[in-house]
Amino acid sequence: MKAFELVEPATIDDAIALLDAGDPGVRAVAGGSALVPMMKARLFQPTRLVSLRRIGGALRGIHAGDGGLRIGALATLTELEHSTRVRDAAPVMSRALRTLSNVRIRNVATLGGHLAHGDPHMDLPPILLTLGARVRVAGRGGERWIDINDLFLGYYQTAVAAGELITEVHVSAQPHDARTWYEKFTALSADDWPTVGAAVWYRTAGDRIGEARVAVSAATERPVRIAAAEQILTGAAPSAETFGAAADAAAAAVDPLADIRGSAAYKREMVRVHVRRALEKAR
Amino acid sequence: MTHQRTLSFTLNGRPVTATARTHETILEVLQRDFGLFGARESCGQGLCGCCTLLVNGTAVSGCLYLAAFADGAELVTVEGLARGGTQHPIQCAFVEKSGFQCGFCTPGMILMTKELLGRHPRPTDEQIRHYLSGNLCRCATYPDIIESVRRAAELV
Repeated sequence: MKAFELVEPATIDDAIALLDAGDPGVRAVAGGSALVPMMKARLFQPTRLVSLRRIGGALRGIHAGDGGLRIGALATLTELEHSTRVRDAAPVMSRALRTLSNVRIRNVATLGGHLAHGDPHMDLPPILLTLGARVRVAGRGGERWIDINDLFLGYYQTAVAAGELITEVHVSAQPHDARTWYEKFTALSADDWPTVGAAVWYRTAGDRIGEARVAVSAATERPVRIAAAEQILTGAAPSAETFGAAADAAAAAVDPLADIRGSAAYKREMVRVHVRRALEKAR
Repeated sequence: MTHQRTLSFTLNGRPVTATARTHETILEVLQRDFGLFGARESCGQGLCGCCTLLVNGTAVSGCLYLAAFADGAELVTVEGLARGGTQHPIQCAFVEKSGFQCGFCTPGMILMTKELLGRHPRPTDEQIRHYLSGNLCRCATYPDIIESVRRAAELV
């Protein structure tokens, strides 16, 4: 790694002032588990890192209420994994966290960093796309909320602007009859980054699916909702035929990236398989 | 000077200071300034677990942990587990069950076992595999490692 300036502000305001420098080499850092590997590979060479570790309570904590979960941006993935509030409100998140990287990384990685990194291989973004969530962002001009559907703009690109900081994540309250699942497919070793992530969410009204959400990640340049699959599911019976048709629609809709985890054609087929499996397993 | 830091932290129970540049990892400081090589860099990406150390009681990958973040923290490496010439019960269990071959990954395995037993004092095999899934043994002594962890749970 190359030398850089490291600053450790004690307040959010001071952090924003230090981040807002008009320099793409200035970034916030929490646990560093995503940034440091990029720095070691010289994919990112910061001029200044703004460490958030001395900022206290405002960025921490996991709270549950009528409106859903409020999670501080500095909550670690381990805290989320073991949180009974998360398990009660969104068991699909707790399950996914168990195979998200490893214990040591989860001990330092934070939810804010997980989202701000914009890496399409992350496990929680597709899940949050189906659960419904919004991200609170602070900047010099004040605060704003970004709907999770508007957060991921491209490969490692998010709607969080230079000089802005994710401070909190709200996960929507879930109706008691919502069925969810996240299917993670790793084509190389079991603990590799996913080749495909498929998250699904649906509710039934009588013997039909009333509302459905489907999201795909990892195979694509960013985590995406699949409207064509959701349309097929909505109003249909939750049958093998319906799930197969929705999976076909997802496979047709995605634009997979070829890499060491598979060709674009292979990943398209894996999207088909794993969207179907996620729908079959949703509970 | 913002590119260099004087760090104060507790290392294996002893208060210490060190000077580190901002782009150095804690692993580099432990090796260079303190001659501690139990935590060693292998994959350099947080995947293999050879660089495991405990920071404030939780396991981290030292190869990704910026040295500056150790300021004010309590660090434990495998060298800090023995007490007065007596090995830690987890170390005894690994010796008793031969949970190693070349030994390169062993410090990481032992410290992850400490992390595991802190949360699950009587771990199931599934919990053992879950906690050690991020630690690689290229000699593939995994069955003996799992046996060692089971034994460690009895001894701790």
